[in-house]
Amino acid sequence: MGEHVIQGIQAALTLSNLGALVAGTFVGIVVGILPGVGPMVGMVVLLPFTFAFSPDVALSLLLGVFCGGYFGGAVPAILMRTPGVPSSLITSFDGFPLTQKGEAQTALSAALLGSFGGGIISVVILIFLAPVLAHVAASFGPPEYFSAGLLGVVLVVMAYRKQLARGLLLLGLGLWFSTVGIDGTTLSARFTFGVWSMQNGLDLVAICLGLFGIGQTLLLVERTILQATTMNLTRSTLDFSKLRSAMRHWKTLGVSGVIGTFVGLLPGTGSILASFLSYETAKRTSRHPETFGRGAPEGCMAAEAGNNAVPAGAMIPLLTLGIPGEALSAVLLGVFTINGIYPGPLLLIKEPVLINTLYFSMILINVAAFVMLALWLRPFAMIVRVPTALLSVSIMVISLTGIYAVNTRLFDAGVAVVMGVLGYILLRMRWPVVNLVMGVVLGEILENRLRQSLSLGDGSPMIFLTRPISLGLILAAGLIIVIPLVVDRRRKAKAETPWP
Amino acid sequence: MKAPMKAPFNTGSRLHDVLSVFFGTFAAGVLITSPLNVDTSGPDPFYKGPLIFPIMALSLMVLAALPATGRLLRPPAGAAWHLDGEGRPVKTFFILVFLVAHLFGLRLVGLEASSLLFLMGGFYYLNYRRPVHLLLIPILLTGIMTLVFKHFLQVWFPTPWLMEWFEG
Repeated sequence: MGEHVIQGIQAALTLSNLGALVAGTFVGIVVGILPGVGPMVGMVVLLPFTFAFSPDVALSLLLGVFCGGYFGGAVPAILMRTPGVPSSLITSFDGFPLTQKGEAQTALSAALLGSFGGGIISVVILIFLAPVLAHVAASFGPPEYFSAGLLGVVLVVMAYRKQLARGLLLLGLGLWFSTVGIDGTTLSARFTFGVWSMQNGLDLVAICLGLFGIGQTLLLVERTILQATTMNLTRSTLDFSKLRSAMRHWKTLGVSGVIGTFVGLLPGTGSILASFLSYETAKRTSRHPETFGRGAPEGCMAAEAGNNAVPAGAMIPLLTLGIPGEALSAVLLGVFTINGIYPGPLLLIKEPVLINTLYFSMILINVAAFVMLALWLRPFAMIVRVPTALLSVSIMVISLTGIYAVNTRLFDAGVAVVMGVLGYILLRMRWPVVNLVMGVVLGEILENRLRQSLSLGDGSPMIFLTRPISLGLILAAGLIIVIPLVVDRRRKAKAETPWP
Repeated sequence: MKAPMKAPFNTGSRLHDVLSVFFGTFAAGVLITSPLNVDTSGPDPFYKGPLIFPIMALSLMVLAALPATGRLLRPPAGAAWHLDGEGRPVKTFFILVFLVAHLFGLRLVGLEASSLLFLMGGFYYLNYRRPVHLLLIPILLTGIMTLVFKHFLQVWFPTPWLMEWFEG
């Protein structure tokens, strides 16, 4: 055990790993600062480059983008009230009023300290919680895995229950996409429509790159995002004297980090909820709740600690069950599987060095992001001045070449363009695209486990109800469907009741 | 700086229903023809076979599209086609055309020429016509991509058709 930890730390400190995590964090901060771009675009654009690296280096690069994106998102939210990532909207509630009062440095210090603290707390929880969950998951058979996957799907769909039918449509489409090509079990061709290239199926990287890399940038071509002409920063680095005063809110930091981790652990919940719950909890427990929304540094800290705890939280179901909680960790799952590593309860036993490298890399990423932003605050803040249209065209050309580079197949680049068009339409119409990605990623897992389970039960679906863990997971999925619908209906009925 | 007033996003736009029905009809078509598009000649029973899961996925799509189909046939009072105030995606369409041309360009003229032309064309079309935008950025980006993909990652790119024709 101790030997694996030391080996993991040594691997994390190699030059290649350090280079990857610093580069990933840098890219993450940049895409996080740019409104409308975000860590997903950064991750999918870098994805093709990871095939030249070992899995630990590839994961460090992408995790750097994942975490760096949340760090960077706070900067434009505080300085311009334009959140770089959606969850930073909550940070702007108090960050921008502080900037208006000439206290941008106070807000940025609180936000950065919050991001750093939230990130570290979540990694510590990941280190202790992952082995416990893996131990439970070690007793899982195909029915339990299927039920766990089903629970994940239900959580994602219900997270967007205001668009339930659209979410289900996209989930179904994603699940169907995952079946295209040669079936791994029976070697039968499925939905190839006589096209030879379709036999390899629709590449996950091409789908993700198309939907987010090309789709999102096509959207940016049309949109002009408000660009600031002035930066209300008193100095080019972070004012370190403000950090000490921000440290007074250490309790808020701790609680928000824990909330963010557990919200990140639940599939489909996302970083906005983590930020919002952390912020609301901080407001409720604060001695001065009336200052929230008017420029409370504590609010900035809570929101950022909450959203930056999400990446490590999302790693818990991914590493222990092999089930990604949202689109960003679905991309990470792709990196694992492409390298022949299958996340699940045995991963912690089979690849202890890789796991420890990952843990330590995540701590280093938080340190790197904090240091980079603290030292180069103004240069990073200036990035918002880059015209988005220029950036979009550049990202498109890199994405398309990158997707060709993965398998050296122009067919994949064609798939990415088609997915780009689909992504543009869905993003513009604000459909829950994450359901489509989850369908593609979970499709193979669900299908294999379903067929294995039915084989165990001689074709009877009762096998899912006769095993206690599987039954428990299905009941949990049922409750997750029923409870919000009942609550929504009651709320609606209450709203429609006329005043007496 | 004040952002121009835009019409709000319409979550109940009939365009949502059109898209849902499109997906639903597509799924229904694929579902009906699935026995023809999936090789089920193997010895496995249905529950172990390659068709069970696609049927479940496609059925889910068809069922999810039913409410939208109903709304499209009998629109509720006040239903409108308006989606958002962002207008028609003309710029996006032309950039997409450039992107498709770039895809074919990769095979026709190769990575360097195709990327350079796409970037220059895209920037020109989007009104970034200063030399730094029109020349410096495309050349720099194409150079970096060539260096990374061809030399660092050693990705194989096919010989451009144009070069093959010239060389006979």
